[in-house]
Amino acid sequence: MAKINLTKEEKEHYLSQEPQLKHMLQHIPALQRIAHADKTVIKSIEDAVAIARKFNEKVARPAYKQIDLNICKDPNYLPWDFVKKASDWGFYTLFIPKMFGGQGLHLVALMSWLEELGSVCPGLALTVAAHYLGWGALVTCWNFPLIVRMSRLIKKGEEKGEPLLFCAAATEPDKGTDTEEMDLLEKAMPPGTTSEKVKGGYILNGRKIFITNGHYCTWHLVVSHTDKKNPVGSMVCLLVHKEWKGFSYGRIENKMGQKSGIASELVFEDVFVPDEYVATVIADFPQKPGRTHHMIQQMMVDYIISTARIGVSSLGGVGAARGAYETALDYARTKIVNGIPLIKHQWAQMILAEMYKNVNVARQTVSEANYASGLYGMSSLLNKPLIAMLEKYVPAIVWTLWYPFMTLKLTSSIFRTIIYYWPSWDDFQTQTVASSIAKLTASDIGVLNSQLAMELMGIDGCRHDIGSEKYLRDAKLVNIYEGTNALQKLNIGHNRVFRNMPEVKVFE
Amino acid sequence: MNTITTTQAVNEEIQAFCDLAKNFADKELIKNREEHDHYPFAPLFTGSIQNANEVGFYGINLPAEFGGIGMGDTALASVLENISKEDASMAGIIFTNAAALEIINQASLDADCSKIYETLNAQQSFPLSFHSFEAPGEMELPVVDSKGLISGKINFLVLGGTSPYTIIPARAKDNSISYYLIDLNASGVIKSETVYSIGLHACPGTDVELGKTPAVLIGKAGNAMKYFQAMQSHLSIGAAAISLGIMKGSFRDALQYTKDRFQGGRQIIDWPETRMMLSNMAIEIEVGQSCLAQACSRQDAGEQGWERSARAAAIHVAEMSRRTTNDGVQLLGGCGYMKDYPQEKRMRDAHQALCLLGMSLVRKMDFINGIIAESE
Repeated sequence: MAKINLTKEEKEHYLSQEPQLKHMLQHIPALQRIAHADKTVIKSIEDAVAIARKFNEKVARPAYKQIDLNICKDPNYLPWDFVKKASDWGFYTLFIPKMFGGQGLHLVALMSWLEELGSVCPGLALTVAAHYLGWGALVTCWNFPLIVRMSRLIKKGEEKGEPLLFCAAATEPDKGTDTEEMDLLEKAMPPGTTSEKVKGGYILNGRKIFITNGHYCTWHLVVSHTDKKNPVGSMVCLLVHKEWKGFSYGRIENKMGQKSGIASELVFEDVFVPDEYVATVIADFPQKPGRTHHMIQQMMVDYIISTARIGVSSLGGVGAARGAYETALDYARTKIVNGIPLIKHQWAQMILAEMYKNVNVARQTVSEANYASGLYGMSSLLNKPLIAMLEKYVPAIVWTLWYPFMTLKLTSSIFRTIIYYWPSWDDFQTQTVASSIAKLTASDIGVLNSQLAMELMGIDGCRHDIGSEKYLRDAKLVNIYEGTNALQKLNIGHNRVFRNMPEVKVFE
Repeated sequence: MNTITTTQAVNEEIQAFCDLAKNFADKELIKNREEHDHYPFAPLFTGSIQNANEVGFYGINLPAEFGGIGMGDTALASVLENISKEDASMAGIIFTNAAALEIINQASLDADCSKIYETLNAQQSFPLSFHSFEAPGEMELPVVDSKGLISGKINFLVLGGTSPYTIIPARAKDNSISYYLIDLNASGVIKSETVYSIGLHACPGTDVELGKTPAVLIGKAGNAMKYFQAMQSHLSIGAAAISLGIMKGSFRDALQYTKDRFQGGRQIIDWPETRMMLSNMAIEIEVGQSCLAQACSRQDAGEQGWERSARAAAIHVAEMSRRTTNDGVQLLGGCGYMKDYPQEKRMRDAHQALCLLGMSLVRKMDFINGIIAESE
């Protein structure tokens, strides 16, 4: 057999052709970098899955249908028991690194954890996931004093049995898609939530809608702008406590699904936010060649939503697809159709096999995005070898001795430089494209598998008490939130397909 | 009368039904749609159910000699489509009643059913209850004993909690299956709470247990499958009409919203991706309209094999309706997912409507099995 020889240059040449290997298979560089040299990641994934399965068995599965039904009956019903139970299980600090006072499961394991929870109830999974979205948004600001302080408050809340949750608030009545893409934001109608610098802090005014978990949360990370005419470059992220003067809750939306992950309206009327609660001011970031404020603001927003896209794809895409498949499989074993069990009809077997395949396809796209995020996204900094080693080997108690250093302004500055100035734009694009692909694929598969389950189960698939129809209602939201699927396509086009084609203007 | 005049007269009559249904929907269904959909956690719209009786929607396929209008499936379809644009729950009620009546109509071709019609008329029993979403082959059938008493369970009996009468299949000792008329207030009837389902909330189903409940045989003993299959063909036209109406309502509201909503500094209807989705919806509606028209015209002309067109239309239009209403939600973004807008209800209704007349996958297999049997 002839042996094919490639020179080093040839190999580089072929591997640099599109699509590049690193754009195709994130787990190859990830295996070298994220799981660098030890079993921490694998152990975290195993722990996360096992914990989630036990929680499903003891807490979620016995309760989720009744919770959903309670909210169907009364959209203002808040399942506080569940929120507290999740706190008792340590869920709100599980993935916060030890260096910030959390339990330190590796963030790569978050995807598997959310899939497990979502396979029973995407709505309940969203309730805990959205807390990490709020906390993650704060981390993305890389304001160390605030990260450390708030993470410790979350821990204290958990220890006292008084859950302290976070949420991120960006969407406004006239701004959904616009908030996520700077090319759109700069052409959009003026933002409705504004902040004005005053002595000692900011005055915040405006209204946010569709804010997941809003009514459960103690702290809200609010995206605002100081310049209505130029929102790009004038973003300010502020932490607002639920009891501060001028803050109030508006309505709870009456959604089709994911009901326990409530969508809240937040109202800000001359809320004074002291300087110490200002998470970030984009204008404070120095502009450099290749890093304009437009780019930094895009990176900051994107790091948050790309991570969120992976989360919701896990719980409501893969999770819902898997839940629908498992429900249909169980049903098919007992249901008699035309005299024989449904599962003995070969057409039913083929549909179940297709559903199983769909779950795996969705998981693979989400897994790729998860690795890309670990390499180039919000948490990539925590995966730098030195930081990862310290996180692994330094005991939690020792980290508390380092807090004075971590809360220095210089520390924030160093970390912001590493996360916002060091990465290549191509790396940034890789993670955002991967998360868009994941959301686009997994959300559609979540809906598709839910439909297949209902089709297979007939009217029984439509009954609330049997549990299949809920996956469809829940999965549909993943097509919409964290950027509609239309935006995901634009993002893939903008950051990958047409990135070297100046003649193509995706957002025009 | 020559043929042209007959067609014109029929068309005028159908148009009158369309107008009647539109007016009814405007007056009775739109304003409180969200509240109606909140059933069973809010009151059932019993006033509207009664008013539908008064305008004759429950008598469309009831023979004229028994107080009905005695019209065909096209008239029924025109009503169902126009009602479903606004609230498919009411269409589900009209459909359920028509399906039950069609079983009797089919049985009356075999045997005298005048007493059954008279009983129903005398008791003002409309709308009737029926197992609209399951074929007998998918049900755990109740059994009938030698005294004609029925025992067993019927799941998701549509209007089982509100109607005085239902029509159900039951199995005899010799395994033959027959249809029976049951008084739902008779002895031995136990009704569950309303079964909460994904859609058509105001057309509710109930699980009903029968314990030695008296029953009246409909038609000839052992002919249940024959009656059901004939009914399935007729009502397939109605099922397709419901799905088509839901699609049309979803498209109309999506079109309006995309003109009203701005993102990126322009109306979202000006984004080509939005137009493509709207176009896909509009194309599917055109295709659905053609499927339904074909089935109706073949049936009206008495063409052999019209049943195949009707059955194919029911499955295909319902599948398109799932896709279209899914896009109808998507085009409204977060608003489409909220109950303040009717899009999410339409998506839920469309998914349940696919189950009308039994599992769609079983109906598909029956469809091809019929073709194969014929070819051999």
